[in-house]
Parts: sequence; C-alpha cells; structure tokens
Amino acid sequence: MTEPPCIRVVDVHKKFGPLEVLKGVSFDVHRANVVTMIGASGSGKSTLLRCINYLEVPTAGAIFIDGESLGFREDRTGRRTPRPLREINRMRRDLGVVFQQFNLWPHMTVLGNIIEAPIRVLGMSRKDALQVAGECLQRVRLSDKANEYPARLSGGQQQRAAIARALAMSPKVLLFDEPTSSLDPELTDEVLNVMRELAEAGTTMIVVTHEIGFAREVSDRVLFLHDGSIDEDGHPDQVFTAPRSERCRQFLAKYLK
Amino acid sequence: MSNWERLVWNQRDALLSGLGVTLEICLLAFVGAIVGGLLLCLVRLYVAPLRPLAILLIEFFRATPIFVQLMWVNYVWPEVLGWPNTFFTAGWVALALQSSGYLAETFRTGIEAVPRGHREAALSVGMSRALIFRRIVMPQALLTAAPSLVNQFTVVVKSSTLVSVITVPDLMFQSQKIVNVWYEPIEVLTATAAIYIALVFSISQAGKYASDWLRRTYGLQG
Amino acid sequence: MSEALKQSLDLALFWEYRAVLLSGLLFNAGIFACAGLAALVLGLAAALLRLSSARPLRWIGTVYVELFRNAPDYVMLVWVHFVLPLLLGLALRTRIEFHPFLSAVVALGLVYSGYFAETFRAGIQSIPKGNIEAGRAVGMSEALILRRITLPQVVRRMLPEGLNIFISLFKATTIVSLIAVPDLMYRVSMVTQQEMQPLPLYTGAALTYFAIILVVATLLRWAGDRWSRSVLA
Repeated sequence: MTEPPCIRVVDVHKKFGPLEVLKGVSFDVHRANVVTMIGASGSGKSTLLRCINYLEVPTAGAIFIDGESLGFREDRTGRRTPRPLREINRMRRDLGVVFQQFNLWPHMTVLGNIIEAPIRVLGMSRKDALQVAGECLQRVRLSDKANEYPARLSGGQQQRAAIARALAMSPKVLLFDEPTSSLDPELTDEVLNVMRELAEAGTTMIVVTHEIGFAREVSDRVLFLHDGSIDEDGHPDQVFTAPRSERCRQFLAKYLK
Repeated sequence: MSNWERLVWNQRDALLSGLGVTLEICLLAFVGAIVGGLLLCLVRLYVAPLRPLAILLIEFFRATPIFVQLMWVNYVWPEVLGWPNTFFTAGWVALALQSSGYLAETFRTGIEAVPRGHREAALSVGMSRALIFRRIVMPQALLTAAPSLVNQFTVVVKSSTLVSVITVPDLMFQSQKIVNVWYEPIEVLTATAAIYIALVFSISQAGKYASDWLRRTYGLQG
Repeated sequence: MSEALKQSLDLALFWEYRAVLLSGLLFNAGIFACAGLAALVLGLAAALLRLSSARPLRWIGTVYVELFRNAPDYVMLVWVHFVLPLLLGLALRTRIEFHPFLSAVVALGLVYSGYFAETFRAGIQSIPKGNIEAGRAVGMSEALILRRITLPQVVRRMLPEGLNIFISLFKATTIVSLIAVPDLMYRVSMVTQQEMQPLPLYTGAALTYFAIILVVATLLRWAGDRWSRSVLA
C-alpha cells in the first residue's frame, strides 16, 4: 500500500501529573480501515483516542493526519514550531468524534445540532447544510426525529444523532469513544448496526469499545492496550482466537466467558 | 361613602401612577442588573488581572443590605461622582447594583454547569473558542439561569418599595401620601399590600410555568 | 470631586461616633434573633400544614406561605406597625399601639417564615420515601419518624439554603429604622442630621455591614460544612 496512512501515531506519551497513562504508543491507520481498541479500564485507550484529535495534548510523541503533524508545523529546514489553536481547529474538521456521553447540544434540535458546524465552521449555506444533514440523518435512520430536541430522544437515538452530526462534516476519519457504553443493552444494537454500515461503506474508523463481538466482526485490525502500551496488534481473527500476549488472553477470557 | 371608596377607589389614579413608576423603576433596574451582572461575571471568569476587583464588587453588592446601598447611592454618589442627579435614577441604580451581584453568580453557575463534553463536541467539529462561547455555552447558561433570573426580578420588585423613602413616587409612596393626608391607614395600606403580593405572586407563577416548559423542552436544569 | 471622595473615605467621623452607631447594631441583632426564631417555628409549621393529608389544612398552609413569601418586607413592616394595631383595636374595642421592636419582629418573622416554609417543604419532600417506609415498618410513630429520620436529613440538605435566608433576614433588619427603631441606620441618619456630613457616615455604614455579613456568612458556611460532613452518612 503506497498511500500514506490517514493517521499515524508516533511514540505518544501522556502524563497526568505524576501518572503516565500512555507510555509510547505507535500505530498507523490506513484509508477505509476499521481499527478497534480494546483493553481494561485505565489502560489508556480513551486517552489515546482523545490525543488523536488533540482534546488531550500528548506530553511526547506526534500525531500525523494525512502526513501533516497535528501539534507542530515543520518548515523546509525541519524546524518545528507549535501549531496555533486556530490551525488545530481546522485540522479537527477532518476528524469526526462520537462521544460516550453523546454530547448533543440540548438547546438545539437534532437538525440544529447537525447543521451548526457546517454552517458556522465550513461556511456552508443553510440550504446546502440542510441537504447534507438530511442525507446524514437518512444514513443513521433518524430522519423522522430531525426537529426534536435531544431531551426527547432515547439514548440510542441520541447517539445516532451524534453520529450524523459527525458525518455532516465529511470527516476523513471517524473516532468513536466507547459509543455504546452509556446505553441500555437493548439500545446498543441500533448504534452498532449504523457503525457496521459505515464500516461496510468504506469509512475509516477508530473505535474504542467493550463490544468484543462487534470488534471481531467489523474491524480490520485490533489493538489491545494494557497499562498505557499496545500489548497486542493484529487481525481480529488472530487476536481473538490466538492472542500472543498473555494479558490479552486473560482479558479476552474474562470478556468472552 | 365607605373608606374603601374614598381612600382607594377615588385615589386610583394616584395609585396607578405609583404602580407605573414602580414597574418602570423595576424594569430599568433589572435590565441594568443583567448588564452589570454579565459584565462582572465575564470579567471574573475571563479577565484574569481584574478578577479580584470583580470578586470584590460582587461580594460587596451581595453583602450590603439594599437599604444601605440605596442611601449610599443617593447621598454619597452625587457628592463624589456628581451623579445620579435624580432620586429616580438613584433608585434604579441602587436596585441594579444589588441584583447585579447575585446575577453575576447566577450566570457564573450557569456557565460552569455547561458539561465539558458539550465543549469537547464543539471543539471536535472545529469550532473556535469564541464560537463555542457564543453558540454553545452562553445559550445553555442563560436557559439554566432563567428561573433564577425570574426570582431575582421578584426580589427587585420587593426591594423597590424602599425607593419611596427617597421620595420616588412609586406605589408605596403614593399610598403613604394618602395615609398622611387622611390619617386612615387600614384600607389603603391593605390594598397596597394586596397589589404588591398579587404582582410578585403572578411573576413567580409565570416564572414557574416558563421553567417547567424549559425543562420539558430542553431537558435542562434539574 | 476628589474632595468629596476624600471626605467619604475619611471615616474619622464614623469612628468618632462609633459607640453610638455600633450599639445600634444590637437592635439589628436582637430583631434578627427574635424574628429568626419566629420564622423558623412558623415556617416549619406552615410546611407541615402544606404536606398534611387533609385538604383544608393544605390549603391554609398554601395561602399562608404564598401570602407572606410574596410580600415585600417594607410593606409588611408598615402594615404590621400601622394597620394591625388598629384592626386588633377594633376587634377588642380598645386602643392598641405596637412597640416598633415588636412590629419589626412580627413583620419580618412572618415574611421570612414564608421562605423557610418553602425550604422545609422542598427538603422534606426530597427525603426518599424508602426511609420513611422503613421507619413505619419497624413500628415508629409518625412523630418519631419526623423527629429522628426526616428532620435531621432535612436540616442537613437545606442548610445552605437556610443559611442564605438567615443572611437575608439580617440584611432586612436595616429597614426597621423606618419605623423608628434606633438601629444602626437610624442612628446614622440622626448623626447625619446633626453633623451634616452624610459621606463618611453612610460609607461607614455600608462598610460595616459589608464586613459583618461577609464575616458572618463565611463563618456560618464553614461551620455548616463541617457540621454537615461530620454528621452526614
């Protein structure tokens, strides 16, 4: 594959005070790949995801989006200057994020949530934004709830609306931070189905999740994180049936009980 | 002719004009309080070098009784600042100052109550900080603060009765004038009390309906 | 202008009269204590009325609370001092006059009992039903449940709100000067008339109240936090 990776994570470290949560993580994500990150709570997988769009700033290491570094600018001589927030914001438009807590803005309708950024950040006209929003709502099967306020929707509906909001910006990569962990069990399927369809349509996705079944079915690659480093990295068939790492084996044994 | 007729019904013009002055002064004070409160709140949160001053002012306006502030604005300010130059102005300025302290804290609570996740979602779609503040934080903060705002308005209405002391011709002043002329306080003062109670009660009820509607529509403010 | 500013900040005059002025605070404190006590007791009674199972009692409680909660302090003060004695006098066919101190305590006690009533009611209703049912299940009487289960929890929950009401009450006592109770503000106005220098006196009064309320409010909150935490389950 000669195409440069969509996302390249290089030796990322993250410390919170004295606590080092990420201890040198590196991996690549190529276009149309679905990468899932699994691991126990506290293994650093959410932190890693949040570093990718700079919601958390890595204490060391670098993140590259389509070859461009997120944290700094490098000129021809190789000198690095930190990137201003304005530019980081611009680059963030290419990364869509779906949060565990949905984070829909309660004072706007579903439609309002979806068109807000296309209009105000991308400068789209309202007509165009509404059209895009309509398409995104169709993809997540939520067209009938367009004019509802988030407070009236179920958890599964809210999360699908959040996915539509992320899609409306036409991101290069979609990041999912435990998208179903806040949902009642009956509601996770509707969200996982939407994610499955997105994957089949060729969306590049990085998903942090506890849903092992989903990870197994849909991912092209699975990363197992333990205590801040990648302990296991491979194709789902290999990782789930014959993990090389002992800790991964123990983790899966507990989950697949 | 009963006292009710003589003292209340026949004096209704004076009383109504007093009510008008009361409402006028309350609305002016409330608008002033919102402006002042927002200013103090934003300075406190975002202008680091002026933060101690903002906090001092907020605490001062909240801690001093409204009557004391009224006297202070009315007697001391004109000498030192050359303003206010009318009793009416002194009245609404003092009322506004008092409420701006409370509203500054109300707005601050509202802003800080906006969940971090909402800001992160906005950052994740590339919104600038200014945009986030304008479109995501402030609207939610105002919606959360709405019931407190209504409550503070009732406080303004109740406190406004004191401006009669500095001879502003509000409802209280007019009714006391009638008492001083006719020496029969029962009917007039009871009627005045009833009007104030009804006014404050209506505002409170309206606020409650609005707050319920807000909660049902937007799911905010537990 | 700067001359006036200097004058108002030159609190020497206030300091000179400090004995007279600050002893006025004793009246504020006394009215605060009596009215506060009355407001607590009446407020609790009104809250219990509003929560009773008998509809007429609930109605009385609601009328009481809405009447006094929505009444401006000053209006109530004037009404209690000038109208109530006349009404009582008519009923008892004699001439009655209220001592201003009494009027102040009654008026502020009634108004603030309205605020306390709402706070108590909200607090009582916020106690999970399960606690009360558990009490009934072990055979506790309603009175015992109220005393040992409901009230301690209510007090703890409603402490911050209650403290705020007390602070408001203390601030409200400044208006008693308007019915000639010789409190701090009354004495300030007397001295002003005598000395014709309002600036240092009113500034001094404002600063005095600021200092007192700030100190008292902070102390009360600190004490309340400590007590809450030590007793809280």
